Amino acid sequence: MLSFQGAKQGFCDGISRRNFMKIGAFGAGVTLADMLRARADASNAPQAAPTRPKSAIMIYLPGGPSHMDMYDLKPDAPAEFRGEFRPIQTNVAGAQICEHFPLQAAMWDKFAAIRSIASVDEHSDSLVMTGKSQRENMTANHPSFGSVVSRVRNGQSSVPAYVSLRGMSRGTEPGFLGIQHRPFSPQGPGIENLRQLTTVSQDRMSDRRSMLETFDGLNREVDANAAGLDNFTARAFEMVSSGGVRNALDLAREGQASRSRYQGVEQFLTARRLVEAGVGCVTMSIGGWDTHGQNFQALRRQLPQVDKGLSLLVGDLHERGLLNDTVVVMWGEFGRTPRVNNNAGRDHWSPVMSALVAGGGMRMGQMIGTSTARGERPQERRYYVPQVLSTLYRTIGIDPATTFLNGTGRPIHIVENRELVSELV
Amino acid sequence: MRKYLPALVLGLGALLVSPIVAQGEKTTPKKDFDAIKLPTAAEVKELQGFPSEFKLTGEDDSRQLIVTAILQNGSYQDLSGDSQYEIADPKIARVTTTGRVIPLANGSTSITAKFGNSRITVKLTSEAMDQNLPISFSNHIVPIFTKLGCNGGGCHGKSGGQNGFALSLLGFVPELDYMTLVKENRGRRLMVTSPDFSMLLTKASGQMAHAGGKRMDVGSDEYKLIRRWIAGGTPFSDGKDLEVTKITVFPEQRIINRNNRQQFAVIAHYSDGTTVDVTQRAQYESNDPDIAVVDGSALVRSLEMSGEAAIMARYQGSVATFRATVPSGLKIPTYAFGHRTIVDKHVQKKWQELGIVPSDLANDETFVRRVYHDVTGTLPTPKQVKEFLDNKSADKRDKLIDQLVETPEYSYYFANRWADVLRVRRGVNNPQRAFGTFAFHNWIRESMASDKPYDQFTREILAAIGDESKAPPTVWYRDLQKPEQFVDDACQLFLGVRVACAQCHHHPYEKWSQDDYWGMAAFFSQIGRKPGANLGVAVQNNAPGRQIVFNKGTGSVVNTRNGKTAVMRALDAPPVDLKTGDDPRTHLVDWMVDAKNPFFARAVVNRYWAHFFGKGLVDPVDDMRVTNPPSNPELLDALAEDFIKNKFSLKHLVKQLVKSRSYQLSAMPNEFNKNDKKAFARYYPRRMSAEVLFDAVSQVTNSPANFAGLPTDRFAPNRAIMLPDESFPSYFLDVFGRPQRISACECERVAEANLAQVLHLLNSQEIQTKLSRLGGRSDQMVKDARPDREKVAELFVWAFGRQPSVAQMDVAMTNIERNAKSRQLAYENIIWALINTKEFILVQ
Repeated sequence: MLSFQGAKQGFCDGISRRNFMKIGAFGAGVTLADMLRARADASNAPQAAPTRPKSAIMIYLPGGPSHMDMYDLKPDAPAEFRGEFRPIQTNVAGAQICEHFPLQAAMWDKFAAIRSIASVDEHSDSLVMTGKSQRENMTANHPSFGSVVSRVRNGQSSVPAYVSLRGMSRGTEPGFLGIQHRPFSPQGPGIENLRQLTTVSQDRMSDRRSMLETFDGLNREVDANAAGLDNFTARAFEMVSSGGVRNALDLAREGQASRSRYQGVEQFLTARRLVEAGVGCVTMSIGGWDTHGQNFQALRRQLPQVDKGLSLLVGDLHERGLLNDTVVVMWGEFGRTPRVNNNAGRDHWSPVMSALVAGGGMRMGQMIGTSTARGERPQERRYYVPQVLSTLYRTIGIDPATTFLNGTGRPIHIVENRELVSELV
Repeated sequence: MRKYLPALVLGLGALLVSPIVAQGEKTTPKKDFDAIKLPTAAEVKELQGFPSEFKLTGEDDSRQLIVTAILQNGSYQDLSGDSQYEIADPKIARVTTTGRVIPLANGSTSITAKFGNSRITVKLTSEAMDQNLPISFSNHIVPIFTKLGCNGGGCHGKSGGQNGFALSLLGFVPELDYMTLVKENRGRRLMVTSPDFSMLLTKASGQMAHAGGKRMDVGSDEYKLIRRWIAGGTPFSDGKDLEVTKITVFPEQRIINRNNRQQFAVIAHYSDGTTVDVTQRAQYESNDPDIAVVDGSALVRSLEMSGEAAIMARYQGSVATFRATVPSGLKIPTYAFGHRTIVDKHVQKKWQELGIVPSDLANDETFVRRVYHDVTGTLPTPKQVKEFLDNKSADKRDKLIDQLVETPEYSYYFANRWADVLRVRRGVNNPQRAFGTFAFHNWIRESMASDKPYDQFTREILAAIGDESKAPPTVWYRDLQKPEQFVDDACQLFLGVRVACAQCHHHPYEKWSQDDYWGMAAFFSQIGRKPGANLGVAVQNNAPGRQIVFNKGTGSVVNTRNGKTAVMRALDAPPVDLKTGDDPRTHLVDWMVDAKNPFFARAVVNRYWAHFFGKGLVDPVDDMRVTNPPSNPELLDALAEDFIKNKFSLKHLVKQLVKSRSYQLSAMPNEFNKNDKKAFARYYPRRMSAEVLFDAVSQVTNSPANFAGLPTDRFAPNRAIMLPDESFPSYFLDVFGRPQRISACECERVAEANLAQVLHLLNSQEIQTKLSRLGGRSDQMVKDARPDREKVAELFVWAFGRQPSVAQMDVAMTNIERNAKSRQLAYENIIWALINTKEFILVQ
């Protein structure tokens, strides 16, 4: 059931939440008005040196990863709490993480963990992606982090602002920002449309194009958008023939050596390539963490994979000078019961969970907050998910106090609780 | 450091006081006025002064004069800022150059405004200048915070405040603000013994670091008033506790030439009947800054464009608008415009006011494609086009419209539109909800087909009882659970009013308070639900089964403003007297469908107007409020009245709109209406909606769709406008903006073009498959024995409803010749090119 790369993820309530919709509406949809605006701005603006907008990679661990077996080990707690894993020392004095994370331990100066986050008991990526629980989102329809990035960055780039490598779920939805801010999901027709059709040769395409120009009897005076539509058409032709996004997704273009390094965790490589191509927010998921039974067995298998992927991703970003421009976050929906159950498993535990963060020029090499001696509740520096999201928004250059109008015309802040995780900034 | 600060502030303060007192009477810089063309002295027939007589009370009072010239040609010109003012006794009061009268001492005198040889005199009395009048926190101090933006949603007014200082949003809870200022943090914000050192004043005036910047000058009117309030011991009440009952503006409406201006005045009416000029204290906003802008003193300036703008004035909980009509000023030719329905008279009146000329009537080819699209969501076939063009009778357009509203496509198309806002959605992983969504969709479609009166339609939804097999509208009660959700949806959908803001605080742009909101919520507080047995079906995984909606007969909601049980009361209506056994929702519907209800009929008429004319008379369609007035109120009223008179018949409404001459105008602008955005002097082109475009592509390529989850036989629904709910997967529909039906807002449907859409039409396997399908249009054309020219011409009619030009025919023929070996390829290319044009995806 807990297949590592596979599409299907089972949860304890028997409902699969991944990939139930494989369509992606090419969420980066640069709308016409945005484009015209961007062009108008460009013509007015003084020519400044191009600055690279910062990106985010959001790694979601579906099912709720066990906080006490990853970044918040309690070696001094009774055996039925501390579990089977031992902590190891990282390269930062005083910071210890799980023995199955040796690669991260060797470069902890580039990571930080927050160990005192309160969550809600819901099998959903809604809270960590949108800042609101699924229950709240029944009415709030709050947009996901990536959709906000897409909305804010609209029209600034020819690549999609938001890409989901894990299909669609509540947490990837744009909510009231509108469907055009759905993530671009590379499984769907969106990506196929970037590829030249086998039955339509280059010659035939140019044939078609010249006819198209003659046939169009629409007088430009009739519609103010006509010129913009023509521009879209020209750009669409260009995207098909050049293929920037398509290339980023095509791992075959990565060197053989690099691909073999990432073997088994290729998603991390794809995420890196997308960020390099200029995507604003990439979301991906790995593993299955709803370990009600045989928690340690599952984690022995999964933790090294996470360790490998994360260390490669962060290491590569650092080497390429991109780490300060890219923020990485990894978390799930909640923590797991501190007391191990009769099936050597751990059950849902929302009072406390951990999150891993890296990059973005934030202060790394630290452990933020603590949980109580048996890992049951936040003890020092309790944080809430929206505060972490606020910090991430700020890090990538989006003011967390930004508002957008919802369906009833009310301005809604992209995050409500905007206190920052002060240790990070 | 701390030790030196007061001295520094004091020095700075002293330095600032003298020049800034002068600034209080300074006018807007002169250069802004230079462009205005004033009438010559000879053109002025007479002057009018408002108010003709008035009283000023105390040193904080002032009065804005409005001086208007009535010109020889009957038009008006504002001269409030251009008259010369003479005051009989300059010791009593003085007048600024902008016409604001400020008292100096007790007594009576008169002011004469002069322009050329014309003059007008107004009288005034000034009193209580020698008294230290009591100050009311809520009536005098709070409005300052609002005017200066302190308590706005982006600042201290947001929930939780800013940097530890929280005010109620827009000052709607003065009691709380008072406690915050006076008591919180041990009173550190105010210093009664030394008012100028109060943090409130030093921060707001920028003498102490303030993240919000400098909001007022030391010595300004606001500063002086707050200072006096602090020095007076920070009283909450002035002993009168008056409330603002309403505000009014003078004048309410004016025709202003382009590049001109108009001063207006705002008067607050208090609960004891007194009035106060609050022109300097109210807030202003223009709803169309391309046409007219406004400054903080209610001076409106019209710009280069002609059109209409509404200027909102807001003071405490009240709002009012000043409407500016800015005519083009062009000399317009005479034109014939025979009226066909009630629409035309009112629309034409607006054109005359604005000085614009409508476009010509659309030709038959354009009209037939447009009317098929707008009424049935379907493009006409070449046969239908030919029939219409060949018909020579004078009333053929009316006949066609009569015929179209009786087609199944009409009912499907409008069911699709209504289902969008009625949340006919299955959601994700909810297959068991299909029974309900299919039933509800079918119910809507049959209501459209049978032209169920709209009041009845609404009643069956809003007062639904039973389960979805007997009463399909109970499906609406699946997505909506809490009374608040019903209020938001019902108001937005059936009344065209967005009240959601008032759930937590007074609506910032309307008069609606939390009492109004929770009064509406009370109608939905007695809805009962119980599960019904699913006959013969096992329910799995706690999936919701049948739901039976009933009236519990008990229940209430709590008004969150005061924690008390809310009084059941519709908007602007008296409380409801609920008898035992009554369903409160029935009372609500009774109020709604009453002919005198100001919202209900207007809301739906406006919604339909927007559908056919491309933009609501009120825009957005579901945001009708005092501060967002209709672009043509008389037209909206007339249509609503006609709709009620005709027993809420939607088909009648459609005919009334579509048969009008105004609807049938060409989209091609002329030199007089090329800037027109909301006078409907031409047809505004629009993109086909996702479902309609999908069907149009299927029709032109003769490759109908089949949708997963529906039957596959030849009678099965094979068109996107026939889909009952949102859950049928289609990349095409999503990328072109099909809504997920998660709100009652039409805005959920995306009408904007984007790159992914273009890409999909241009280069997708889906479209290529439709083009090359065996038995599809290209294949048919290849097998068709007719000459190629004839077939190409027919393809143009399929796509555009018109014949190709000579050049277009030549290009198509060249392509056919070039692909002589595979004419299938040539026809695919031609059809591809046709559906990728702007002319295809836009309706004009």
